[in-house]
Amino acid sequence: MPIYLDHNAGAPMRPTVRAALTEFLARETGANPASIHRSGQRARRELERARERVARLLGAPTRSIVFTSGGTEANNLAIFGAARLSARRQIVTTAIEHSSILAPLTALESAGFEIVRVAPDSDGLVNPDAITRHVGAETALVTLGLANAEVGAIQTIAPVTEAARRAGALLHLDAAQVAGRIPLAVDDFGCDLMALSAHKLGGPGGSGALYVRPGNALAPVMLGGPQETGLRAGTPNLAGAIGFGVAAETVMGALEEESIRVGALSAQLLERLLLAIPGLRLNGPRRERIQNTLNLTFPYVLGETMLIALDLEGVEVSMGSACAAGAVEPSHVLLAMGRDPAAARSSLRISLGWSTTAAEIARAGELIPLVWRRVVAAEPVSSAESAATTVGAAR
Amino acid sequence: MKPRVLVAMSGGVDSSVAAALLRDQGYDVVGVAMRLAPERPPGEARRRGTCCSHDDFEDARRVAERLDFPFYVVDLRADFAARVMDNFAAEYLRGRTPNPCVMCNREIKFDRLWQRARALQADFIATGHYARIAAGADGIFRLRRAADEAKDQSYFLFSLQQRELARTLFPLGAMTKHEARARARALGLVNADKPESQEICFVPDGNYAAHVERATPADAIRAGRIVDDAGRTLARHAGIHHFTVGQRRGLGVASSEPLYVRAIDAASGDVTVGTRGGLSAPGLIAKQVSLVSPQRLDYKFKAEVKIRYRNPGIPATIELTGTDRAEVRFVESGPAVTPGQACVFYRGDEVLGGGFIEQALAG
Repeated sequence: MPIYLDHNAGAPMRPTVRAALTEFLARETGANPASIHRSGQRARRELERARERVARLLGAPTRSIVFTSGGTEANNLAIFGAARLSARRQIVTTAIEHSSILAPLTALESAGFEIVRVAPDSDGLVNPDAITRHVGAETALVTLGLANAEVGAIQTIAPVTEAARRAGALLHLDAAQVAGRIPLAVDDFGCDLMALSAHKLGGPGGSGALYVRPGNALAPVMLGGPQETGLRAGTPNLAGAIGFGVAAETVMGALEEESIRVGALSAQLLERLLLAIPGLRLNGPRRERIQNTLNLTFPYVLGETMLIALDLEGVEVSMGSACAAGAVEPSHVLLAMGRDPAAARSSLRISLGWSTTAAEIARAGELIPLVWRRVVAAEPVSSAESAATTVGAAR
Repeated sequence: MKPRVLVAMSGGVDSSVAAALLRDQGYDVVGVAMRLAPERPPGEARRRGTCCSHDDFEDARRVAERLDFPFYVVDLRADFAARVMDNFAAEYLRGRTPNPCVMCNREIKFDRLWQRARALQADFIATGHYARIAAGADGIFRLRRAADEAKDQSYFLFSLQQRELARTLFPLGAMTKHEARARARALGLVNADKPESQEICFVPDGNYAAHVERATPADAIRAGRIVDDAGRTLARHAGIHHFTVGQRRGLGVASSEPLYVRAIDAASGDVTVGTRGGLSAPGLIAKQVSLVSPQRLDYKFKAEVKIRYRNPGIPATIELTGTDRAEVRFVESGPAVTPGQACVFYRGDEVLGGGFIEQALAG
């Protein structure tokens, strides 16, 4: 079995979720939760129970949860839904958001919106004052990742909430990456919208949700039937919602124990790697970080080679984001943090999670330095500015 | 443990079948597709018959999925630009006609990729080239033409030496293209009937001159005159990179007899043209010469030389006049000699070595 250290891309399904889905699929009738008959009523009851469970994770009223096809759709709904109903024409965000935030904003920019993208510091933390400075009477929406997927930096929200409220702007938080890692009470953040993804917390893929604070209006993006209080047309993905609900419930119960355990394993791995690999650098803050995430710059190697070599050894990690061709591109987050492209190309993201064991971390702690030494010997790259060409070609 | 082989996959049928054969022979196959050429501007229509496009990577990925071995796309664009593309433009600006496929084999596939292979603990590199490698009873590796003469690609591989041959596998060397396609169909591979790539991968439209211009500052373009043997100006031209020695078409000069480019002088910008008769040279000087097994050759030997991929070999005497330099004398008067092209020495089926044409010998 490979050692799976890519939880930020997708967490393995939790046993509770697997059990609930197996049980559901065995008795699934196919009835539509919108149907009048009793099978429809039973389906609807299951959907609403799942909604309750997800709502509870956020300390939110049940009716505030809109099920979507995932975090990406939730972010799209938040952004387009808010922009279309607002007369205001400015949106404030950061330069290190997920592509499902950045791409909708680029589309709105072409449609005439002013998009302010605030840069982070070298740790990936965004100074809240740098955001609030731009929030004013023209601001329709402030959208912010609660924690960054690539380096794990947890942002300070309170001053932003305050500024958005004063300006009458909506605040959207992309919480896909933090759900299950830190407590998430929407009232503590005071946000109007919050996006979640089921498979990031051990639920099924293709399932997500948007929290919409009661009283806030959004324009639907997906048009059709009146499902999901008119905000998301289409027959709901009942299995996806059920799995999401069970994952949320499991996470609620396990959050404290799990985050302490995973944090300790992550710290242990970092310590081991820092000792074994001279010049290794942690990208992201030491403390204000979802502790499961280790973004590391490995000296004198290409991250691409490390990633493949580790995969062939059974250690699964990730790097930046995959391009359409399946090759890896340097992370836009690291570039925004001021890393040069060569350093970004030498960086990998290792993300632990609920399934990670102490034995796996001990093994990864041995294999990663071993693979790094092998790659340095075979394919050394200069760690200077000179991008990705190798030095000392074999010829 | 099974030996591991890194198979360079283009998404085409040849490298796919190569991977399949190696898997069936019991190798631990790891497939890689190399990203080499820069991305084309978005919106530009994709042309079939070139490699390195996303569709081609997708084809390679589907083959790997079907045959169940790991597959990765690797980004060697920086190395390809520095070691192949820059050289391509520079050669044209020097009045020469480069062969980027030979350079790519030498610099990228059998050198740069080998670094990656070692990093991934591979014992061999394999490609879908049609050529054969075999060790003799003396333990020395020979590079030989493919069984399928029409497909033989040994010309592009002349620079491989013992070190490279020892770690390289060409599983298609004994097959015909027809057999390879049949094999691909039998395996249910998506690309079994895909057309072959023809053009240079980073110049998909075949317009080399336009590519050179894009890759070059405007003041480095050498415009000049088209002159005859006697030095009389026949026309003016927009840059020597539009010309190749031996070229007939597109000279922009009216004449009763067909005219061919005889020489390109990068310093003056003069392109000398003449009738066919004046084209043939008694021989050539080759540089960057390498020999597959130098221990088996004298400093002076007879061989058939190929000075273009599609030309037949012509008998010649080769004299090594330096560590990487040779003087090639054709037994009979030879064809047009194009500086920059590869000149490959054969004895029967065997590739003895080769080099890059520096200049024709004076008649």
